[in-house]
Amino acid sequence: MSHVVIDLKASVKSFLRNKSTIFWTIAFPCVLILLFGAIFSYSSVKYDLYLQNQDLVDGKATYWSNFLISVLNSSGVFNIRVLNSTINATDYAISNRLSSLLIIPSGFNDSANMAILAHDPSLKNVTYVYDQSTSSAPVVGSIVNSIVENINFKLSQGVKYLNVQDFAIAPKRYGYIDFFLPGMIGVTAMTTSIFTSVSISAQFKQNGVFHKLATTPLRRYEWILSRTIYNVLITFLGMAVMIVLGITVFAMKMTVDAISLFMVAMASLMFTGLGMIIARFVKDPDGADAAANVITFPMMFLSGTFFPLSQMPLFLQTIAQVLPLTYVSNGLRASMIFGQSQAAIFDTGIITLLGFVCIAIGSWITKWEED
Amino acid sequence: MNDYAIEVEGLTKRYGDLVAVNGISFTIKRGEIFAFLGPNGAGKTTTVEMLECLRKPTGGKAHVLGLDISRDQMAIKKRTGVLPQDFYTYERLTVRETLQYYAGMFNSRPGVDSLIKLVDLEDKKDVLFKHLSGGLRQRLGVAVALVNNPELIFLDEPSAGLDPKARHGVWHLIDGLHKEGKTIFLTTHYMEEAEVLASRVGIIHDGNIVALDTPQSLISEYGKRNMLILKQTSPNAVSNIEKLGIKANYDEATGDVTVHLNHRVAISEVLHSLSSNDIPFGELQLRRSSLEDVFLNLTGETLGEEEATL
Repeated sequence: MSHVVIDLKASVKSFLRNKSTIFWTIAFPCVLILLFGAIFSYSSVKYDLYLQNQDLVDGKATYWSNFLISVLNSSGVFNIRVLNSTINATDYAISNRLSSLLIIPSGFNDSANMAILAHDPSLKNVTYVYDQSTSSAPVVGSIVNSIVENINFKLSQGVKYLNVQDFAIAPKRYGYIDFFLPGMIGVTAMTTSIFTSVSISAQFKQNGVFHKLATTPLRRYEWILSRTIYNVLITFLGMAVMIVLGITVFAMKMTVDAISLFMVAMASLMFTGLGMIIARFVKDPDGADAAANVITFPMMFLSGTFFPLSQMPLFLQTIAQVLPLTYVSNGLRASMIFGQSQAAIFDTGIITLLGFVCIAIGSWITKWEED
Repeated sequence: MNDYAIEVEGLTKRYGDLVAVNGISFTIKRGEIFAFLGPNGAGKTTTVEMLECLRKPTGGKAHVLGLDISRDQMAIKKRTGVLPQDFYTYERLTVRETLQYYAGMFNSRPGVDSLIKLVDLEDKKDVLFKHLSGGLRQRLGVAVALVNNPELIFLDEPSAGLDPKARHGVWHLIDGLHKEGKTIFLTTHYMEEAEVLASRVGIIHDGNIVALDTPQSLISEYGKRNMLILKQTSPNAVSNIEKLGIKANYDEATGDVTVHLNHRVAISEVLHSLSSNDIPFGELQLRRSSLEDVFLNLTGETLGEEEATL
């Protein structure tokens, strides 16, 4: 174990003396957070809106429910995705992490008719179920509200016949930055672990450092353990700086619990292993950077780090489902933002499994000397 | 404890059909400086790396400090020191930190300061490795190879790429280690280095050891005769010298005559013969036979400076 500590100390000292590495590991993600946090707070796009119409007669939408759906559709703002009327839509939204769901209750049509006749507000409200940890949910909610308000205004010049009742599936109100920051922590775990593993392995192989280390009592697995712990520590450092930035600059509220810390550690383990696998096939440090970029760059953009997966084309969403960073980002959001420990544990479980598989393969194929 | 630091018997390394090392056998006594020479691809590095426990042999056996290289790798590593060619390490550790790092790997408590002094890096002890010149890096590499106070030190091209002054500094260092009783296994491209430092020289070619003896014995057995070069003399000198029973050649381009000396004729006899026959000559050069000639004779190849720095 003392060999691991000695090598770890050397790695940390080297890190602290390398301004370029510090910038890319710590400062660059912070710059991205500041930029994206500022820019995308004001962005607008077409949003997914899941809709369940429970107000059916003989399987057909009633007049008022159909009217509301038509108006929402004609707004051009939403991609409306209709859910089966028999399922528990709220549970479905939670388990599938839908950001926005509108439920039109049974009896909505009758209640609206009664309200118009009596000039009173309707007793049956549509329910807007939303995930406030997503950047889109508050925007979608306000658009739905304004559309309903517009219908009311045209019908009654002021009386709120139709109402939208909010139902949040996340406990607190969060903005885009809350979506983005956990994703950036995942990206930092990925880039730190993959780049350091690939480039250090390529450099040590080319410069003969592995050769020298192999002549000492330091065992290969001790070196790999040291590198893994180093990557975890550096990612934790990056995570801490990003969280401080999020809290101080964006007034974020989040939970850093054992699950999120464990997820970061396992993500570092997995990406360290992945880096070692890549390094095995890389001949020199220049090739190492290129190979690491080929892996990390697409993953960074396709794993829902910068934008919600729901805003991406369907085929890209399918690709995202097989990228490990997707589970890291989702798991971190679930634990840090949603407070959904069950979903976080599921994602962490996947990453833990992948982590041990990757590190086992990486350790097995990493050679200090060709025999 | 036996007298041998290294005992090799029928050591073989195959890569598929390629035989890199072909059943070689040799011994190295404790306290000896042994130079191992060979052209690229001769099996030199493979042999050394098997002795350093970095590669597994496919046949034969070898003992390092009485320990089996196939079974006692960790024990061998703890008692040997290795200077790889072009020593490199963590770029952002200082000289002192580098020595502390490797000392930690051996769980040894060396006098880091005394090692720094030994390799004359006292004024560089707080300088990062990446800021050291090639010569200083090699000196640090030698110090690193000594952190565990090894009984046997493998030095792979210790002075490759160094300027003459730095090279002589490394030689002085190696000589000092020898005087301390260390056994040194030296791999080098520099024939002069082997000739100056080594008590015995082994030459490997195509996976086989083709010669193994002291440098002087090898030169006597396989080297060319010593030669006397008479600058800018007359072609008549050749016939005059050959009357003494020794061979001589005239180079028309330079006007030089090369005299192939032997044990029967002294240089003074040659010069006396030329003077008495009024044959003029300019400068005199004596070219002694060297390990380079031995190497060329045995392998058909030369090991020049360019190759040494590859």
